[in-house]
Amino acid sequence: MEKFGIGQGIRRHEDFRFLSGKGTYIDDITHDGMVHAVVVRSPHAHAKIVAIEAQSAMAMPGVLLIVTGEDWTREGFGTMPTKSAVQKKIDGTPLNQPPRHALAIDTARYVGEPVALVVAETEMQAVDAAEALDIDYDELDAVVDPVKALAPGAPQLWDDIPGNFCLDFELGDKDGTQAAFASADHVVSLAIENNRVTAVPLETRGAIASYDPETENYLLENATQNVHANRATFAGDVLNIPEEQLHHIAPDVGGGFGAKNSAYGEPALILYAAKRTGRPVKWINQRGESFLSDTHGRGQLSTVELALDKDGTFRALRTSTIGGIGCYCWTVGPFTPSGGAARTQGGPYNFPAMYYSSKVAFTNTAPMDPYRGAGRPEASFQTERIIDYAARTLGFDPVELRRRNLMTPDMLPRKTPMGLDVDSGNFPEVFDRTLAMSDRAGYRARVAASAEKGIRRGFAIAPYMECTGGGPKEFAGVDFGRDGTVTLRVGSQSTGMGHETSMPQILAAELGIDFDRVTYVQGDTEATPIGGGHGGSRNLEVGGNAVLQAAREITAKGKRIAAHLLNSNEDDIDFADGAFKDVKTGQSIAMDDVIEASFETGRLPEAMDPGCLDTGTVYEREIITIPNGCHAAEVEVDPETGAVRVERFWAVDDFGKIINPLLADGQVMGGVAQGLGQALLEEIVYDEDSGQLLTGSLMDYALPRADDLPEMKIAYFEDAPTAKNPLGVKGAGEAGCCGAPPAIVNAVIDALAPDGVRHIEMPLTPEKVWRAIASAR
Amino acid sequence: MYEFQYHRPESLDEAAKIFAGADDPKFLAGGMTMIPVMKQRLAMPSDIIDLSRIGELTGLSAGAGMVTIGAMTPHAEVAGSKEVEKAIPALAALAGGIGDPAVRNRGTIGGSIANNDPSADYPAAVLGLNATVHTTARDIAADAFFTDMFETALEDDELITRVSFPAPEKAAYAKFANPASRYATAGVFVAKTATGIRVAVTGAGACVFRVEAMEQALSKDFSPGALDGIAVPADELNADIHASAEYRSHLIGVLARRAVLQTG
Ligand SMILES: Cc1cc2nc3c(=O)[nH]c(=O)nc-3n(C[C@H](O)[C@H](O)[C@H](O)COP(=O)(O)OP(=O)(O)OC[C@H]3O[C@@H](n4cnc5c(N)ncnc54)[C@H](O)[C@@H]3O)c2cc1C
Repeated sequence: MEKFGIGQGIRRHEDFRFLSGKGTYIDDITHDGMVHAVVVRSPHAHAKIVAIEAQSAMAMPGVLLIVTGEDWTREGFGTMPTKSAVQKKIDGTPLNQPPRHALAIDTARYVGEPVALVVAETEMQAVDAAEALDIDYDELDAVVDPVKALAPGAPQLWDDIPGNFCLDFELGDKDGTQAAFASADHVVSLAIENNRVTAVPLETRGAIASYDPETENYLLENATQNVHANRATFAGDVLNIPEEQLHHIAPDVGGGFGAKNSAYGEPALILYAAKRTGRPVKWINQRGESFLSDTHGRGQLSTVELALDKDGTFRALRTSTIGGIGCYCWTVGPFTPSGGAARTQGGPYNFPAMYYSSKVAFTNTAPMDPYRGAGRPEASFQTERIIDYAARTLGFDPVELRRRNLMTPDMLPRKTPMGLDVDSGNFPEVFDRTLAMSDRAGYRARVAASAEKGIRRGFAIAPYMECTGGGPKEFAGVDFGRDGTVTLRVGSQSTGMGHETSMPQILAAELGIDFDRVTYVQGDTEATPIGGGHGGSRNLEVGGNAVLQAAREITAKGKRIAAHLLNSNEDDIDFADGAFKDVKTGQSIAMDDVIEASFETGRLPEAMDPGCLDTGTVYEREIITIPNGCHAAEVEVDPETGAVRVERFWAVDDFGKIINPLLADGQVMGGVAQGLGQALLEEIVYDEDSGQLLTGSLMDYALPRADDLPEMKIAYFEDAPTAKNPLGVKGAGEAGCCGAPPAIVNAVIDALAPDGVRHIEMPLTPEKVWRAIASAR
Repeated sequence: MYEFQYHRPESLDEAAKIFAGADDPKFLAGGMTMIPVMKQRLAMPSDIIDLSRIGELTGLSAGAGMVTIGAMTPHAEVAGSKEVEKAIPALAALAGGIGDPAVRNRGTIGGSIANNDPSADYPAAVLGLNATVHTTARDIAADAFFTDMFETALEDDELITRVSFPAPEKAAYAKFANPASRYATAGVFVAKTATGIRVAVTGAGACVFRVEAMEQALSKDFSPGALDGIAVPADELNADIHASAEYRSHLIGVLARRAVLQTG
């Protein structure tokens, strides 16, 4: 196996740059004549904007421009439509979609909604003018809870959308499920909340817009996960210009997790400001603004029901959910609580029948959009929690109950009742390996040791099965330089995951060239004709296969050149280990010689021109893949304070072929950290009456820190290959968020089962745990 | 941040003169509270007087049953001091549990107690150990120093110069950290001192306070069990999104018992 081949744990190429402060994030970029924009945000959750008196602020030092909703309407800019994959209600009519402009036009509907943009020579001047801007609001009643928003008499967010109702949704076999419930021996039901969280990327959102009056072209440098899709929105929907007139670049992006997926209003505002002022305009969100205005995730309230036979065999699963999405549909907001959470209901278990239904409500809160997993972690948590609850209330062993109901390899391929194509996987084997890894033999002794200290110890295992998503197409382009350099351009985007390592790794391995020769280009609408950006664990699955496809097209062309140079028959040429070899004559020629020849007319076959090895190709996925695995946690709970510590954590993941185990570990660890955050620490809280955000800073929003995390043992299962794509990869990015929350929460419930505790809502804060113990006694 | 004049005096006299001549001056120690507040424009001092060059505010000494800490001493120095560790281990441990390494390297004891954040740790030690706060104008007993939420006995122009802690017979601090900020959701400092038992609670009320009922119970019987049945009523305590008053009341009991246990 070559040094940098597939499957090698190559260290991240980009790390030196990032760790030595040499990354180029938005705020590192400066342009001549650049000016600064500050967004004025609504201090109210719901208020009529009666008047904005901009004149005195305009007269302040350095102020160049103030943009209000009135200006926006006058300019006739368009709204940003939702790209949700679910667009219809159950009755077939389109979902209710309020107009979403880049800023509030006459009514503000959440604290933090952009109400005006102030542009000045310096950032401080812009801040001063923003503070001085006189806005007259007429406060209205607000509703932040989606259940209350859908109830009669709730404050109405939109005149023409009665009842704050966006859409309803269903999937699965309603009647079959009902029949299974009616005839089952046992039925358990539990209300489960998936707490509302936010991504808190290290780098806040920000962008720089420039405009060239001569060409009428715009340049937008933006901390985004998705340059192509968002260009389509900014250019096509908002500015009404051809897409080619907007060059959209994402430089180094410091984390996204879904919060940088969408087309937000601020970049559109500064594009306009750049044209109006004739100057490059920079805008950078402060951390507080980030809490207020980044998209949030999860935030679903569900009733989950499980039907079982006497012996514990699962008969059916039924989930009904209410999700709030803020006051707009945003980019894909309506999808998560509908199709997003529906598809992977039931996890890797053999459910004969399933039914999922949901209602989606508008609320006076920040918008909802994907957050690492976008519905799949919700589904996994719902499934695992109800199984655990059933085991406890009906007296089954939770480990055994799970094990016996897993789909077995002989059942595959199969379409689940939720319509998911499960082609590969060995769920019982992955489950057993996780159990074996987690030292069950030593468990009793550890429980006793904890008890010595007055501490309860608990264990839980959580198999999960999810799916990939995001854009189905990806472009990969390879350009060869005469100096031996190789440039790889791909339309997917890294926000820190290591694409600069994994993608060149695939190319280098396929072409048999040195990894260090490959320069990686991403996040630029001019570098690739299309691009699916980042999201849905799609990079290797779609982008990686595009690279593989490009490499194979290159070696096919290489064969023709080699055949020409070796005076061989093309069919006799074999390519392996970086060399083309005539299998008949034994003569061979190195890849590098072929590359060199590809620049010289005289050394090429007639139909080929110099530079002919340069290749651009589009790979399209036929069908989404099924990442799966099994996570397990051991926790300690202090019954006196309610404090929880995750002591040990194990994961066996089936991501298909592992391209780079080091990067895969990073994905698992990061996902588990975020899953632990959701399980124990994180929650976005709005005041019920005022709609003010109560968790608006890191002093109040509890992110997991290094010392909150346990040592993790991670292994991969690669013995159930998928044929859904040539690389044989299944996706790795969101698995941790699916496995960790149920493993951790159920382990806490296990620890407290002797106290009689059956359920605690996430996050399992010390006070909630303490109260659960107290009320169970 | 708004614009302000920046000064860095070399002596207390110079600092006093600058203060007297300024419109709305503020002292700056480690800046761990002051700078975020200014960045968010919640404070708009006309002048900032940086105390970092004033030698009279530095220094740490331990001897004759007393630990004296200069106002500008960062938490990390107290936490890492062998002398403090020997004389009052509970104080070194408390300092080592404040915030994170960056905060401990910048934040100072003077800034911490002058600020009197209801969930700060040092006030519990100052009150629990019956320390004396020395200022440019006078000496203030711990019992008279902390007056209300973010309020102290200090006059506007009065500077803390040092704090002296009499070494107790034994003492311990038990803290339950807020998972987000890592400040104290509740913290209890228990000390057996020459003048009697002292129990100081931080994080739970508007301002650090003593619990007399616990002190009396522990005077009779210095054991965790002596505290059974003694609770600080919830209606006197803080409630926020992190912890209800009832939970804080419960934590005070748990932490007090643990502190007693820790004193060994
Ligand atoms: C992220 C974070 C976490 C933290 N966690 C904790 C924690 O867990 N526990 C805890 O106790 N604290 C915590 N702190 C507070 C920190 O430890 C500092 O003690 C506190 O911020 C103030 O100290 P400072 O030296 O930075 O003072 P500054 O911020 O410089 O000043 C604070 C105030 O004190 C005044 N002042 C300063 N020095 C004097 C003086 N000598 N005389 C009179 N007035 C003076 C200033 O004028 C100002 O009003 C945390 C802070 C941060 C930012």
